[in-house]
Amino acid sequence: MAKNRPIPIIILLLSPIVIILAIVLSVIYGAKDININVIRDAFLNFDGENVNHQIIMYSRIPRVIGALLIGAFLAISGAIMQGMTRNYLASPSIMGVSDGSVFAITICMIFFPDTSSLNMIFYSFVGSAIGAGLVFGLASLTPNGMSPVRLAIIGTITGSFLSSISAALSTYFQVSQNISFWYNAKLHQITPDKIKIIIPFAIIGIITSLIISKSITILSLGEEISISLGQNTKLIKIVAMGTVVILTGISVALAGKIAFVGLIIPHIVRFFVGSDYRWIVPCSGVMGAILLAFSDIISRFINYPFETPIGVVTSFIGVPFFLYLARTKGGKK
Amino acid sequence: MNKDSLRRYSTVLIVSIILILLAVYVSLTNGTYDLSVRDILETLFRINPTPDKDLVIFEFRLPRIIVAALVGFGLGIAGTVIQGITKNGLADPGILGINSGASLTIVLFIFLFNGKLKGAGLISILSMPLFGLIGGLGSALLIYLFAWKNGRLDTQRLILVGIAISSGLGALSLFISLKMDAADFEMAAVWINGSIWGANWKYIVSIIPWLLVLVPIIISKSFVLDLFQLEEDSVKSLGVSTEKEKGVLLLAAIGIVSACVSVSGNIGFVGLLAPHIAKTLVGIHHNRVIFVSGLVGMLLLIASDFIGKTIFSPVELPVGIVISIIGIPYFVYLLIKSKA
Repeated sequence: MAKNRPIPIIILLLSPIVIILAIVLSVIYGAKDININVIRDAFLNFDGENVNHQIIMYSRIPRVIGALLIGAFLAISGAIMQGMTRNYLASPSIMGVSDGSVFAITICMIFFPDTSSLNMIFYSFVGSAIGAGLVFGLASLTPNGMSPVRLAIIGTITGSFLSSISAALSTYFQVSQNISFWYNAKLHQITPDKIKIIIPFAIIGIITSLIISKSITILSLGEEISISLGQNTKLIKIVAMGTVVILTGISVALAGKIAFVGLIIPHIVRFFVGSDYRWIVPCSGVMGAILLAFSDIISRFINYPFETPIGVVTSFIGVPFFLYLARTKGGKK
Repeated sequence: MNKDSLRRYSTVLIVSIILILLAVYVSLTNGTYDLSVRDILETLFRINPTPDKDLVIFEFRLPRIIVAALVGFGLGIAGTVIQGITKNGLADPGILGINSGASLTIVLFIFLFNGKLKGAGLISILSMPLFGLIGGLGSALLIYLFAWKNGRLDTQRLILVGIAISSGLGALSLFISLKMDAADFEMAAVWINGSIWGANWKYIVSIIPWLLVLVPIIISKSFVLDLFQLEEDSVKSLGVSTEKEKGVLLLAAIGIVSACVSVSGNIGFVGLLAPHIAKTLVGIHHNRVIFVSGLVGMLLLIASDFIGKTIFSPVELPVGIVISIIGIPYFVYLLIKSKA
């Protein structure tokens, strides 16, 4: 592992520069291009009457910060999930988190159509918690249900069950279009208020995941090994899952389903930094943030003047890169 | 009763066949136009046929039931093979990229040609499944080639490459479908979500040969699948030429899934669920699991298709959704009941 040490350090050192670049580009380009001098003015002496300043402060900045945070959340949750379940197919979406949210939003749209958008976020989060709770409830009822494979299967099927029920309900009550609208094209609706809501969760979630990353490494060696190394695997698993639920729940509530980041970023990172989660978790966070921020910028131009769903862009960028890595580095192990 | 016992296996077989027949009976008799058993028997055995009943049975209901049965059978078997080879319970036909590849070519086809191919000729009916088949085989091949390195097929890499290529192709389909006009988009969406409403006899004829050739091959290799559950080195030391067997089994699964997906759209979930249900029912021996999984898939699909088309009639629920709603509670029940 020693030979891999420089790479994560390089990634972490370079990341602030790339992130600042992403912020600047994201603020400059869009449906209306904004001059860099105007941006400087907007920061130094903000003028509430100036339309450009308003766009910058209330639309573009929250949007790019949202993209960065959500990218980081999803990638970190993905890394934790894969480490904990030791399954390469695991991603935050198999915890019932996003399907739980869809379920709650569907119910909400059918029975309480007048709910405000901030309350919707709250309900979405409650839905995520219910979805995850259901997965763990079933897992604890099932013999050997907390084993990585069983948990992953239970998570997958519970998720598809919830999303199928939601789909059936929304077909029957004819709200599919509203729901699809709620889940797509979300990033540009992020406002400073929403950012303020997620900051405390962001701090808690990211710090917790960094603290448990060492234990995740041990857990990824296998249940028996980690128990024999004196680890309280149950506690670690519960904390880890709680973190995943918080991070993905927030992401889904704010940005809808962006499936790809959480699945593939941890793999890409693992190719570079090896199997130590103390490095994988922070590097995933950084890479996820960068991927999502740049994808967001590109999504504004790929089908100009229409915006393309961000999941499409993340795939277009991530897939070729991932295939290249799988080809060249995957064989070594 | 012991899970591996022969008695249990035969009970499962008999019960599932009875349930399948029951499902067929219910779907044949019920619908917007109710028929009695007598009507059906008379029509089937040409005793007292009327054009009305002929139309309902031979043009609408029977083809749909048969397609559902064949597709469910095929996907159940293919799912078992894929989970067996990759040793991963989360693997389903989706990771071979077949669904996404087929979806992409269908979307492309609708985008490029729609409106130019009109009429009900053989070519225009079969051209969509044909495009789906080409797309499915193409992307599966692409994934295979990417995963193949240094003369061996690493299953770990197969899964990774499979997810990556699938989501890439999925993104491409979404991108193209956004450029379509609304009517075309609707058509593509129906296909992608999985539907067997367009079933007709030509579809049936076009998937039967695949099943007839490939299912026996898979069944004859079931002992290899049992061996694959061991470590790869132990399998080799038993004298199994792993690469060759893996290749044969995978290609057979790919062929079946492509044929199924090309007539029924995206119904991958059967392939994930059926093998798990089968394994909980009859244990882990693949010579039994394969067949039971096929039957479970068949039952799930016939029943789900019937429920999907009647429950919110005249709105039709995509069959994939119904499969999850009825299949999952049962599977969860099996899981909770099972021993560790």
